[in-house]
Amino acid sequence: MAALLRPARWLLAAGVPPRLPLSLRFLAAGPGRPRVVSCLPAARARPFAGELLNQARLYAIAAERKNDLEENSSHRRNASFPRRDTDQFSWALMRLDTSVRRTGRITKGLLQKVFESTCHSGNPSGNQALLLLRSCGSLLPEISFKERTDFVHKIWDRLQELGTVYDVSHYNALLKVYLQNKYKFSPTDFLAKMEEANIQPNRVTYQRLIAAYCNVGDIEGASKILEFMKNKDLPVTEGVFSALVTGHATAGDMENAENILTVMRETGIEPGPDTYLALLNAYAEKGDIDHVKQTLEKVQKSDLYLMDRDLLQLIFSFSKAGYPQYVSEVLEKITYERRYIPDAMNLILLLVTEKLEDTALQVLLACPVSREGSLTNFGNFFLRHCVTMNTPAEKLIDYCKKLKDAQMHTTPLQFTLHCALQGSKTDLAKTLIKALKEEGFPVRTHYFWPLLVGHQKERNVQGIIDILKAMREVGVEPDQETYVNYVLPSFDNVESVRVLLQENECLPESTSFGIAELRSEAVKGNLDFVLSFLKSNTLPLSFNSLRKSLILGFRRSMNIHLWSKITELLYKDGRYCQEPPGPREAVGYFLYNLIGSMSDSEVQANEEHLRQYFHQLKEMNIKIYENIYRGIRNLLDSYHVPELIKDVNILVEREKRDSQKTSSDLEATLEKLKDNNQPIGDVLKQLILTLCSEENMQKALEVKTKYESDMVVSSYAALINLCCRHDNAEDALNLKQEFERLDSSAVLHTNKYVGLVKVLGKHGKLQDAINILKEMKEKNVPIQDATLLSFFHILNGAALRGEIETVKQLHEAIVTLGLAKPSTNISFPLVTVHLEKGDLLAALEAMIVCYKKYKILPRMHDVLCKLVEKGETDLIQKAMDFVSQEQGEMTMLYDIFFAFLQTGNYKEAKKIMETPGIRARPTKLQWFCDRCITNNKREALEKLVELTQNLFECDRDQLYYSLLKLYKKNGDWQRADAIWNKMQEENIIPREKTLRLLADILKDNNQEVPFDVPELWYDDDEHSPNSSPRPVDPLTEKAVLNACQQRKNRDAYNIFLRAQRQNIIFSSDTYRTLTQLLLLTDNFTQAIEVKMAAETHIKGFTLNDAANSFLIIAQVRRDYLKEALTTLKTALDLDQTPSKLSVTRLIQAFASKGDVQSVEAIQKMVSGHDSIGLSGMIFINNIALAQIKNNNIDVAIENIENMLTSGNQTIESRYFGLSYLFRKAIEEQIEPAVEKLSIMAERLANQFAVYKPVTDLFLQLVQLGKVDDARALLQAPVLNSLLELIPELREKEEAYTSAMKTYVLDNDVPSAKMLYKYLTAKNMKMNDLFLKRYALLLKNAGEPVPFIEPPESFEFYSKQLKESKENPS
Amino acid sequence: MAASVVRGALALCTNFTRQVAFVQKIPWTATADELRKHFPHFGHITKCILPFDKETGLHKGMCWIYFSSEEALQNAVQHENHVVDGVKVHIQVQKPKILQGDQTSDERERFLR
Repeated sequence: MAALLRPARWLLAAGVPPRLPLSLRFLAAGPGRPRVVSCLPAARARPFAGELLNQARLYAIAAERKNDLEENSSHRRNASFPRRDTDQFSWALMRLDTSVRRTGRITKGLLQKVFESTCHSGNPSGNQALLLLRSCGSLLPEISFKERTDFVHKIWDRLQELGTVYDVSHYNALLKVYLQNKYKFSPTDFLAKMEEANIQPNRVTYQRLIAAYCNVGDIEGASKILEFMKNKDLPVTEGVFSALVTGHATAGDMENAENILTVMRETGIEPGPDTYLALLNAYAEKGDIDHVKQTLEKVQKSDLYLMDRDLLQLIFSFSKAGYPQYVSEVLEKITYERRYIPDAMNLILLLVTEKLEDTALQVLLACPVSREGSLTNFGNFFLRHCVTMNTPAEKLIDYCKKLKDAQMHTTPLQFTLHCALQGSKTDLAKTLIKALKEEGFPVRTHYFWPLLVGHQKERNVQGIIDILKAMREVGVEPDQETYVNYVLPSFDNVESVRVLLQENECLPESTSFGIAELRSEAVKGNLDFVLSFLKSNTLPLSFNSLRKSLILGFRRSMNIHLWSKITELLYKDGRYCQEPPGPREAVGYFLYNLIGSMSDSEVQANEEHLRQYFHQLKEMNIKIYENIYRGIRNLLDSYHVPELIKDVNILVEREKRDSQKTSSDLEATLEKLKDNNQPIGDVLKQLILTLCSEENMQKALEVKTKYESDMVVSSYAALINLCCRHDNAEDALNLKQEFERLDSSAVLHTNKYVGLVKVLGKHGKLQDAINILKEMKEKNVPIQDATLLSFFHILNGAALRGEIETVKQLHEAIVTLGLAKPSTNISFPLVTVHLEKGDLLAALEAMIVCYKKYKILPRMHDVLCKLVEKGETDLIQKAMDFVSQEQGEMTMLYDIFFAFLQTGNYKEAKKIMETPGIRARPTKLQWFCDRCITNNKREALEKLVELTQNLFECDRDQLYYSLLKLYKKNGDWQRADAIWNKMQEENIIPREKTLRLLADILKDNNQEVPFDVPELWYDDDEHSPNSSPRPVDPLTEKAVLNACQQRKNRDAYNIFLRAQRQNIIFSSDTYRTLTQLLLLTDNFTQAIEVKMAAETHIKGFTLNDAANSFLIIAQVRRDYLKEALTTLKTALDLDQTPSKLSVTRLIQAFASKGDVQSVEAIQKMVSGHDSIGLSGMIFINNIALAQIKNNNIDVAIENIENMLTSGNQTIESRYFGLSYLFRKAIEEQIEPAVEKLSIMAERLANQFAVYKPVTDLFLQLVQLGKVDDARALLQAPVLNSLLELIPELREKEEAYTSAMKTYVLDNDVPSAKMLYKYLTAKNMKMNDLFLKRYALLLKNAGEPVPFIEPPESFEFYSKQLKESKENPS
Repeated sequence: MAASVVRGALALCTNFTRQVAFVQKIPWTATADELRKHFPHFGHITKCILPFDKETGLHKGMCWIYFSSEEALQNAVQHENHVVDGVKVHIQVQKPKILQGDQTSDERERFLR
């Protein structure tokens, strides 16, 4: 508040001194003197005056709007729609206000935006209209007078259309804008217009009309109105006189202009700064510097004061009238007041707008800006505006030089170039770039990109060539990026670019164009080009450098044949894998990235393509390394297409591997080997591992002792872990030492180190444990969140056992080694160990030590509670003194308050809350609330809410929300209901989330909700309707949820296992989340385990929609179809909506097993569940497929035909998509089915004019590479109808060749002509066979052939075509 | 290359503690090259991403620099004056994002197992 009061006090103390800003001067004037500031035209016009007034106006409007809003919102809380618009409007208004306040100007864009959003808001109010109209004058120094006036007219008309009712204030505002913009208009017409609208002009209107007359020197007109005003007894103000000064001066009568001042005095009005300014401007416009000087002196001698902005106005007048030579004399008189810079900037902008840039620069250079600190740049606004106003390049370059010389700007040329580029001023930019080069600055390739972008948008080929030439001129070589991103996209094909560049001598000698060509074609998916390029290429190219573009291209064109060809070439050709890692690495990495770049749905959709690809690679004898294979495997796993893993696996180059054997087998083998004196290393390693996995420690140790000399590091690691698991500290330590002796640099896995620390600490081998910790540090063992948790448990275990020294030393070691930060959590055990022993003094001291060392206070609350319980007043005092000294009194008060609440000492707690000066600490309060909720401390929480009722700045709603959360947990609707009333009593307006929560509680308990529930627009993440109060462990549960959130499935699962062992039960939501995560990460068995655990703990536990969907998918994948069907049934019974994908997969799985009944069962189950979004075709396809699988092909076909030909069709024939059925039949090579299906498709097309099936079949054949079959289909008479249906088909080579053949056979010249025309128009390359046929047809018909007929025979071309199909180059 | 795959995987793993600096206010005249020349003074950088807007042909003055070590990152961030092309740029540690994807530690183990 003090801060708010300060400026006011300053104002009051200052009184009304002459040096107050202009607008305040007017505000300070008595009520008898009406405000006249706004009645002057150019003189005292806007950029230099009146921000504060404007501002006040803006504020006032803003405030009104805000009131409207509040009224609205209190009436209709849910009225989100109108609110959004008004919000948007007030946002725009605020921007306008800020802009005026900070700079004294508005940009056109901003005004435009506000105008649009005002129009958008429907019915603009009078205030909004006023605001917009008033903004169109001198607040827009960057826009020419004419444009401003046009804009104000546009606003005026548009708002009127929208129903805004104008009053006199609007007309006056319009007049003012006219004056500011020196707009010539007829005052009498204006008055007539007002009269027509039935609006009475007022004094301000007359004053402004006088000014309008005076501006053009029409004293007669002005006098008429003046006369009129006198008759009406309207007061004549200073403003009128100032206007008259201008009027006489404009009429050329300076003498009378001067005389006005005398007249004024006679009528009792002393000339003020405005009048003098009018006079000064009048002299300036005449170029009369002497009189200006005299007048200025006169003003100085009087007690009047002209401000800098008045002088700036004078500069404008001189300059505009063509006397720039006097500008420097005025500049000398400037005193550089605090608000000078924005005013000067506005003048500079205005001068540039008026094409008076030289004066603008002069004013700019005179600006008092700090030139120290070489990195400050001033003048950007000037340069930018010059560029916008098309100032000539030579001038600009000169300005840049001057700015730089004056140390105002470090990089003016670069900045100007930036502006030119942004404004697409190509010529200016080119000149500036040359200037930059001449100045010795680097000219970089990307400077030209914005220019290329401009031409690219218009596909202006010549423009692009010109830019490339310009680049050449300044010696900049376009790089690959330039070609790929900015040049090539403008051309239809690469070849034409090459030719064009060559013609214009722009083709670079470097390789960049060639590579760019390749990259850009690759990205387009033109793999044919890529392959031929790579075959003939001589440029140095590596596989890796092409990776990104190739991947994009592969994904664009799913031509597996070309995929493999290209991969093979890159793999086998020495040109592309010269770098050391070699082709095997490169291909592996490429495959990894290829799959990684695809989305999971993409991989799923193209599963079959990828499979073919991998198999083709296999045939080409391409191999990848196993480690990369693992990466790919993980990817496929995470995409839920594990089915593909086996197909990648065939590419792996692997070492031989023994299949699993039991320990006894291995032992026998081992002994045999030993007897034969053969090496036993591998078998021994396996045996140890097997024994470890069998958890046979005794035997494992025996084997180790027996074959000690053949032991390897990894075996030791496994053994160490085994001993730790079996709590065998002695052997673990020995093994660790032997391990060390074997290889001192070997590093164990983090978990094994942690296991060692744990077991050693437990067995009192403190020093050894610490040594392990040290080793972890030295060897830089990675520490993860789980490791930190393990550290905590090690320490906490020791604390619970009461081992003070162990806790202390291990903690010390962990923290000082930097293995863990000394957080509150990890330091808990330091205090716990004393609390467990009941030694409160020691606990308190341990805490204080912690604070001194690490600035943390672990278990403060618990210690305090214990102290309060035991009534240890002295110790409480000690603790409190410490806290208030270290953390402040407020913290101390809260700590003790919570301790009292926790221990049920409510009276004492109440006293604390009555401490004067206590105020809300939201985070602390929330902490206690959460604690109460998790520990189900209802009474403590209720007391907290009760006692904080009068707490200063307390967020009551939030506290009630917490209380409701607890009630919800307990299903306590009666108490929740009471809260509703209590909140009304307390006059609290609940937030939406609180209302929703309350409504949920009531609804869950079948109670009526007594208020409108705000609707949810997003899915609330917390809904656990059926969780009942149970022993939940917050720490563990939170850990699970955290792990889930970070998608650490393994951590989460481990915590779950631990919780199971300790009999800790989670809430249903937690189980659900965990199950879902595990399913998502494809840990099926674990997920089922969690689900079963949840079912045993929580009666009626169910998974949610998403989890059930995942479950179905996982079950389908594992071929547990019956179980999946049960899951689906459960989900549907619960009225859930399983995902479309899950149901689809289940249906397809049954179909491929030929299980018609199950598919039909699902159809029955999901009927009515339309939200799943299954298409009706899925059942038709799959039932047919299932029937086909059962060798009931005829039944399947009969059914389909009936559906398509019977009168009552459920699905329209054009939506009757059978692609899936066709694809499956073709893929699985069910030959009779394929045959019968194609007969059916043809029959449907020929006899029933149902074309969809034949089209689908055709496309499937083409997609699956069965081109011949597709062609056969085309030669059937259905072809023409097909082409009519899908004209794009003609672009396929198979299609158009066959089409031409049919036309020749039918002697159908017109159709053939049309086809030829179509293909030529599309710029398609036609093969020779096609041309030969066409030529023959034309010749037979006696028509001219418009091209050279291919000379060879039909057989030749047909053979050629066939060959080229077989070996595409 | 195997190493690079593993490195890629490791980079993936250490994603939320990866050493990335977010640089702002880069002058329009600079490209990734200029940044690559400037930042090695503070430590090895593995990647520098300065996205260009294909609609305007200009970049947006923001860049991500991947350092190979935490130390290098800290060196760079703690340095007061970074001047690129005569303009002072603003640098900060890229705020960590929670990794989208499978559990990181698992992923690494699967890779190295």
